[in-house]
Amino acid sequence: MKEKTIYEHLREKGLSRRDFMKLCGTIAGMMGLEFVPPVKALGKTLGQSPEEVVAQALKTKPKVPIIWLEFQDCAGCSEAISRSSSPLLSNLVLNDIAIEYHETLMAAAGFQAEKAKEECMKQFFGKYVLVVEGSPTLADDGIYCTVAGKSNLDLLKEAAAGAAAVIATGNCACFGGIPAAHPNPTRAVGVAELIKDKPVVNIPGCPAIPEVTTGTILHFLIMGQLPETDQLKRPLPFYGNTVHDHCLRRPFYEAGKFAGSFDDEGARKGYCLYKLGCKGPTTYNACAGLKWERGLSYPVQSGHPCLGCSEPHFWDGGGFYQGQSAPIIRLDKGSTANLVGVGVAAGAALAGLNAVKKSRAKKDLRKDQSQAPGSEPGSKKEG
Amino acid sequence: MNWTNILNFSRGPLLHVAMIIFVAGLSYRLVRVLLLGWARDRAKNKGSKLWGVIVNYLKGLFVLPFIPWVRRTFRHNELTFIAGGLFHLSLFLVLVFGTAHILVWKSLWGFGWKGLPTPILAFFSAVGIISMIVLLINRLTHPVLKMLTKFPVWINWLVVFLPMITGFIMARHLWFRYEVIFSLHLISVSLLLIWIPFGRISHFLFYFFSKTIHGAQAGKRAVTP
Amino acid sequence: MKSQKTQSAINTYLKETGGWVASQLEACTRCGICAEACHFYQALGNPEYAPIWKLEPLRRAYEQRFTVAGKLKLALGLEKRLADSDLEHWSKIVYEACTVCNKCAHVCPMGIQLGPLIHEVRAGMAAAGVVPADLAEATEKQKTIGSPLGVTDEMWRERIDWITDEWEAQIPVDKAGAESLVVFTSIELMKFPDNLAAIAKILNRAGENWTVSSTGREVVNFGYFEADEELTRLFMYRVFKAAEELGVKRIIISECGHAYDAFRWAAPNMMKVPKGVDIAHISEYIHHLWKTGRIKLKEGAFDGETITFHDSCKIQRRGGIIKQPRELLRVLAPKSFKEMTPNKEQSLCCGGGGGVISIKEADANRYAVFEMKIEQLQEVQAKAVCMVCSNCRLQFVDSVGHFNLPVKVHGLAELVSRALL
Repeated sequence: MKEKTIYEHLREKGLSRRDFMKLCGTIAGMMGLEFVPPVKALGKTLGQSPEEVVAQALKTKPKVPIIWLEFQDCAGCSEAISRSSSPLLSNLVLNDIAIEYHETLMAAAGFQAEKAKEECMKQFFGKYVLVVEGSPTLADDGIYCTVAGKSNLDLLKEAAAGAAAVIATGNCACFGGIPAAHPNPTRAVGVAELIKDKPVVNIPGCPAIPEVTTGTILHFLIMGQLPETDQLKRPLPFYGNTVHDHCLRRPFYEAGKFAGSFDDEGARKGYCLYKLGCKGPTTYNACAGLKWERGLSYPVQSGHPCLGCSEPHFWDGGGFYQGQSAPIIRLDKGSTANLVGVGVAAGAALAGLNAVKKSRAKKDLRKDQSQAPGSEPGSKKEG
Repeated sequence: MNWTNILNFSRGPLLHVAMIIFVAGLSYRLVRVLLLGWARDRAKNKGSKLWGVIVNYLKGLFVLPFIPWVRRTFRHNELTFIAGGLFHLSLFLVLVFGTAHILVWKSLWGFGWKGLPTPILAFFSAVGIISMIVLLINRLTHPVLKMLTKFPVWINWLVVFLPMITGFIMARHLWFRYEVIFSLHLISVSLLLIWIPFGRISHFLFYFFSKTIHGAQAGKRAVTP
Repeated sequence: MKSQKTQSAINTYLKETGGWVASQLEACTRCGICAEACHFYQALGNPEYAPIWKLEPLRRAYEQRFTVAGKLKLALGLEKRLADSDLEHWSKIVYEACTVCNKCAHVCPMGIQLGPLIHEVRAGMAAAGVVPADLAEATEKQKTIGSPLGVTDEMWRERIDWITDEWEAQIPVDKAGAESLVVFTSIELMKFPDNLAAIAKILNRAGENWTVSSTGREVVNFGYFEADEELTRLFMYRVFKAAEELGVKRIIISECGHAYDAFRWAAPNMMKVPKGVDIAHISEYIHHLWKTGRIKLKEGAFDGETITFHDSCKIQRRGGIIKQPRELLRVLAPKSFKEMTPNKEQSLCCGGGGGVISIKEADANRYAVFEMKIEQLQEVQAKAVCMVCSNCRLQFVDSVGHFNLPVKVHGLAELVSRALL
């Protein structure tokens, strides 16, 4: 039996062609497909606009199955997706475009759920997309996170074996996240460190921006491949610029107008939050563009400095409210005193050696001079 | 290794080690000099030593650097006076009134103050960098400086120049990704901190010795320092 | 190669390097501004005459023996140990191209006392015996005969008698119970007897109870020029001993800069000085006599030709006797007294001090330096110049002759004595 295409599926649900084309435009726009080089090239050769490329894909391609695994996480990324700013879109992606296994969101539970997953993996072997939320843990063979008696490592390997692509969503899955914070007792790591034989894309954030996760799934669906990524495997359309680059408080930064505390005049006037610990300049994410809650706002707009949650080790990069330029490890009074003590001791030791040298030099000189003629009484030095 | 990790490393352990070497090294050097022994000056004073010291500092810090042309020697070596003065001025302004630097002081000492507007800082950091280049050219061409400048002095120049140029590029968001140039800035700062106890940049410390000595010597002899 | 003499030099440097020396050596930033203050570098353009370069032997001894950084430099081959050839090289620089005038210290942004530090460098040279032959010869004369010019006791007596007759000035010799012991220089005695007589006249007119000593008769200190500590002490000891024997209250140093520096500032730190004996320079003492009304001066006695005042390094810049001679000159020549620039503590050195004038090989150096002084003189169109240091005066007289200048050279005491009422 031939699989139904997404378009057919949507038509069955009663979507008009006009609505479908509108949807394709929305998807293309949201994904920023106009700026994705392959689409541009493809569009040019076919003489198609991006939404036509999208429409073409939706008309010809079947639904993509998604298996969503959770390891050491807080389910925050799932929460974010379920309360996405564009429920239409995520709903669409997760219900209509893709079918899924999701431990938190699915109705089934227990053995039923496990069975569903196994069947899905068997049926769509080599085709499904594996989304991972939460960090795998290496310590003690992964016993710190088990589902249905299987360790997370086994679960991950098993699910990744048949995946066409792996999408790590949230900082935990990407770089270890909060569970990996010093001293990282469970040895949490990013998915990409364990899965080397499959294409992996990272959607870091705490939580990941839902539109970015769904957008990446759509990208895979439409283009048949994962989007172009940066060094940290983050999709460039969403992680190409820093929060600072698109910041609405940027003019204040340039002018050197900063809020000094959360309740001062500067904070009320919406000045730059750099002094309050904003990590915007080094944080690559789409917050400032996509924003949250239907494009309502995002942390910096709401008056809170960026924590840098899409960057590896943001949790160990010094205090969230400590200026970015401040050293992470501070020399406190005690250790400074110790260091001064060490320096003083070393200096005193060398000074002792030097004193010995000096007195030897004096003695040698006196020896020379006692041989020299012409010393008179009184020419002796006093004391 | 990615740049975020390098940044965390240079903001963390590297800078920490650099500060350790800086603090321990400078106290070592200070003590070594102090413990070489100080002879008491038994000659009777003609004037007030204290007055000489005060006048010397006031003149040296607040008067002469701003009107260098009143000195006769200025005419022989304008570049050193002007570029040297502007370099120290801009270094002071950027280090003390640069917002990013204020945050460093705040994290170290627990209190901060208001910074200068960014365009002013940008201007002065550019002035500082140009002064450094002028001083380098001067050092390469002036016969006395050519002779005096040995290998360590070139290192002095380099370790001061690198933080300045990387800091400027970073603050202006030029060319590099921010975390890259930020890391480079911190690495060069660490280099500077590590080098200071070994080189002549430590003159900021021994300045107070020689300046006090000169003031006291002049004051004692009833001469304007 | 390092020989015994280099070792002596290094030992001297180590002995002299206390915190005072070390902290200043550490403070140097290698900015080179001191070179612009040095009249020898300015006049001759040899970069090796930069004052800070003159400290090189001292710095190397200090760093290589006392500091880790210096040892590291040695190990890396960035620097060599001091050798005999280095001492000989720097001996020429520190003795023939430096008057230890300390102008560099006033220009140094760090305030490093380059003059006294160069004195320490010379001390090492003296310990190693690497001193220019002329200077060593004069020092030897002072040690054996009692005067660097070779004035024997008899010659001295004859000369004093002659001056007494010629200028009709009473000069009490070895008068026990005198209040002031005046010690002259051989230069005054032999070359500027007018000045010596003038001082005698002034003191007599003021009714001063003074004397000269036949044992402590030489105030010039060639040991101090050489920076040989033992000899410096010995030459001062002769004077102090005489002062103690005569029971004087003060020693008046006649017109000699280095001697004033040695007696006033160095002696208390290097030897036992008699208690309750003041050290005064003749110019400040004459000023004191005039101020207290013991002598009266004819106002405007020298008005007419433009007269200027030359500040000596050791008496003005390092001695602080800056306003006294000026006050006197404003009385003597209120209209025609003009200041050269730069003046006072910033003044330009004559070029003959610090023993330079006694070294024949340094003649070219000091004439070159004097050309800068000529410029200064011409700027104010001075017809006469007055000073309070015989060493400066010797350099002026010699150089004025050398360059054939229409400038008269006076000692201050000489002018004062001619204006006595």
